[in-house]
Amino acid sequence: MKAVKPKRLGRERLLGGIAPLIPTIAIWSMVGFLFPWFLYMMFQEYTAGAMERPRFAGIANFIKLAHDTRFWTAVGRTAYYSGVGTLIQVLLGLIIALSLIKFIKSDKLRLVLLIFYLIPMMISEAVSSHIWLMLATPQGYLNSILRSLGLPALPWIGPELALTTIMIADIWQWTSLPLLIIYAARLSIPQSLYEAARLDEASDWMILRQITLPYLKTPILIAALLRFMDSYKFIDKVLLMTYGGPGYASETLGFYVYQVSFTYRYLGYSGLLGLVVAFGVAGVLLIFWRVFRGGK
Amino acid sequence: MKERKRRIGRVIGLMILAIYTIAIAFPLYVTIISGFKDINDVFTIPPKLIPYVDFKPTLKPFVWIFSTRAGRTFIDSLICSVSSTALAVGLGFLSAYAYSRYPYLRGNGEGSFFFLLTLRMFPPVAAALPVYLYWSYLNLYDTYPALIWTYTIFNIPLTVWLLRGFLDEIPKSLEDAALVDGMTTWQSFRKIVFPLLGAGLAATVALTWVFVWNEFLFALKLAGNRVLTYTALLPQMRVGQRVQWNNIAGIGSIAVIAPIIILILFRKYVIRLYMAR
Repeated sequence: MKAVKPKRLGRERLLGGIAPLIPTIAIWSMVGFLFPWFLYMMFQEYTAGAMERPRFAGIANFIKLAHDTRFWTAVGRTAYYSGVGTLIQVLLGLIIALSLIKFIKSDKLRLVLLIFYLIPMMISEAVSSHIWLMLATPQGYLNSILRSLGLPALPWIGPELALTTIMIADIWQWTSLPLLIIYAARLSIPQSLYEAARLDEASDWMILRQITLPYLKTPILIAALLRFMDSYKFIDKVLLMTYGGPGYASETLGFYVYQVSFTYRYLGYSGLLGLVVAFGVAGVLLIFWRVFRGGK
Repeated sequence: MKERKRRIGRVIGLMILAIYTIAIAFPLYVTIISGFKDINDVFTIPPKLIPYVDFKPTLKPFVWIFSTRAGRTFIDSLICSVSSTALAVGLGFLSAYAYSRYPYLRGNGEGSFFFLLTLRMFPPVAAALPVYLYWSYLNLYDTYPALIWTYTIFNIPLTVWLLRGFLDEIPKSLEDAALVDGMTTWQSFRKIVFPLLGAGLAATVALTWVFVWNEFLFALKLAGNRVLTYTALLPQMRVGQRVQWNNIAGIGSIAVIAPIIILILFRKYVIRLYMAR
């Protein structure tokens, strides 16, 4: 008689229960420190280097935040930088994606152009910042072209233009993303709709308004959302191109958090700011989704 | 009349595409040619834009890059990006498989999945200071493990999200059939799951690698001395009297080669991967 084999660990328990514990533990090895840190620090006053240890400050950090004009100015700048930047990126991406499909007949050329348009997206922000700095620095390529055409040089990274220049660099790099999303979505619209419209002798404009744009509504929203959140989240270009300057002229919300954390080392306040910025993302997301999707 | 309107529309459309193409190309072109310039040719009025006509190309920047510390920064970037990609994809797979196949088990529900995604949305700049302090307490500031482990953790949500999507497309019945036929768990993975996952897995690996290769903020704050990635090197090169823009452009040109190859190879997957970011 064959002996009954001892029951081995079930596949379900092993792969569904035990295996996923490993990545969970890995994540908590750091997140388990981050969350308590934020929750503790936001109620403390602590300037690293200047103070021995954190001092309990109650809601002092919250009051400081409410009166922090530099913070609120940065909020305004971020709204401009991320809001206008996203709007242009999405609109431009839409125009280019649709033109690409409508006006380029050769499939090969279309693919080549599309891939070429996606290249900026694959470049490190650290590199693209330096590319644009090389163009925008006072004696850089943009000004030398302007000068050799007999035009006055522009202070691209001066106080008035700095944030806009960073925005332009962002547009250059990230229009690719809405372009790609919209391009893919446009190709998934059933061709039969267009054939039917053509039989009805609908004009190009009518087709665009009645078929293409309604279909593209959700992809456009997703693209806008992704771009808005990313430009709100990432500070690489601000840090590398202007370091928030000249003065505070290009200091966005994210970069203000950076300054408070690493330059002034107000650890307590930075804990609160970090949370506010992080939940700002969630808030923006929620509002965005409510306004555009919840409405109907 | 209508025909004429169409033609005008076409001309305008093609013009827009042409202008956009030039706008995308110009900064790239300038970067590439600057990497082949002598420093005296970089910023001039009028600008020197055409090699052999306006300026004599030189390999000086590349010689400089590969004969100094700058060349080593690529190795550091490679070490960090390859190890953390391997870890993030490996660990992510364990999670993704559980989410995809056993969503009814405790801990694999939508709640914990959503929690993972919030980690992805967390702004790196807000996390940078506590993460920096974390590694300082552990006395691991400016080491490979610090950077690799940080990248791994912040990329696990991405790989889980992507791999789960790819796994959901493989019918569970295939695996069940294999198990009924007497395959072991490992065999069912090797013969069914991995081959079917193939391209999706490769794309996940490639694009996760690109994200890490391109990362800047953590590389700057958690390392930057003993461990120095090429992204963190760039700002250091701007310190000093005369900025060597040709060397900076050279580093930039080298750094984008691999991501562009990956873009071409995995073009079908790029959209999915960037939407998950």
